[in-house]
Amino acid sequence: MKIFNSTQTFDYPWDHVSAANWQKYPNEVSTHVVAVDVLRREFDPESQKLVTERLITCKQPIPSWLSFIVGGDNKSFIREISTVDRLTKTVVMRSCNMTMCKLLKVYETVTYTQDPLDLNKTKFEQTAEITAYASLRRLCDRIEDWSVERFGQNASKGKQGFDSVLKHLDEQWNGLASKTTSLLGEVNDKTTEVLKEVNEKTSVVLKEVNEKTNVVLKEVNEKTSIVLKEVNELASEIWKEGN
Amino acid sequence: MGNLMSTSFAPECTELKQKYDACFNHWYTEKFLKGKSVYNECEDLWLDYKTCLDTHLAKQGVKPMLDEARSEAPFENGGVPVEKKN
Repeated sequence: MKIFNSTQTFDYPWDHVSAANWQKYPNEVSTHVVAVDVLRREFDPESQKLVTERLITCKQPIPSWLSFIVGGDNKSFIREISTVDRLTKTVVMRSCNMTMCKLLKVYETVTYTQDPLDLNKTKFEQTAEITAYASLRRLCDRIEDWSVERFGQNASKGKQGFDSVLKHLDEQWNGLASKTTSLLGEVNDKTTEVLKEVNEKTSVVLKEVNEKTNVVLKEVNEKTSIVLKEVNELASEIWKEGN
Repeated sequence: MGNLMSTSFAPECTELKQKYDACFNHWYTEKFLKGKSVYNECEDLWLDYKTCLDTHLAKQGVKPMLDEARSEAPFENGGVPVEKKN
């Protein structure tokens, strides 16, 4: 069990603090508190004490990877009993988590009392008793015991088996390693070859294209001039005939 | 003090809860703290709210864990846990 303690002073009279305490939620700091319900409330006019049982609903404070152990519900519940003693100007609030309480219990006690030295101040005291439950420890112990047992049973058998596996793997690894190296060498060579080929092919093709283009252009030129020449000749013949 | 009011764990009960809370907060500051109260007022509003709560506590499966918590730290004991068995 671990104990957490803290004390503070509020610069407000006890009456204000005790009244504000009922309207503490919602506030922008404690956003994990999503709901507050009054389950039971009793007032004793003789002692002037007011006892209240509340249900505080929080968003699950645990990491999501743990939620599969606790269940998928993302709500967690806290039960709180408070006693307001008007005559002694004291509020005592005791709370405990109901969700996950088989694993971990947090008993919190909060007291608001009038500061005896300054009536305009209120003293705040908080104590939390945190207990990880025996069931959890026992569960861990059992898993550990089982693991140790299994280790003992299998250790000698396993040694022999593992040795042979290691030997086999070692052989394979050595063979594999040399194969890998040569394979990598091959890949490297192939890559350079391919690149070289691509370069060569490209320049050949480009050269060919150039040459072809030149040939075509030359041909086109020649053909054009021939046609033009023919057209010219034809035209002059027609012109001659016409005259 | 903000004017925002807290909600109920069961949205269906929030309206009833807020009516009751408004009545209670007034009683607390105006009567209880001033030593003028002779009985627990707002009881009627609380009973309506409680009926709604009971239904949803059962529906959402909160009742069993609440019963267990109540036996461990009774209301009559001011929430102080009774002797632990282990």
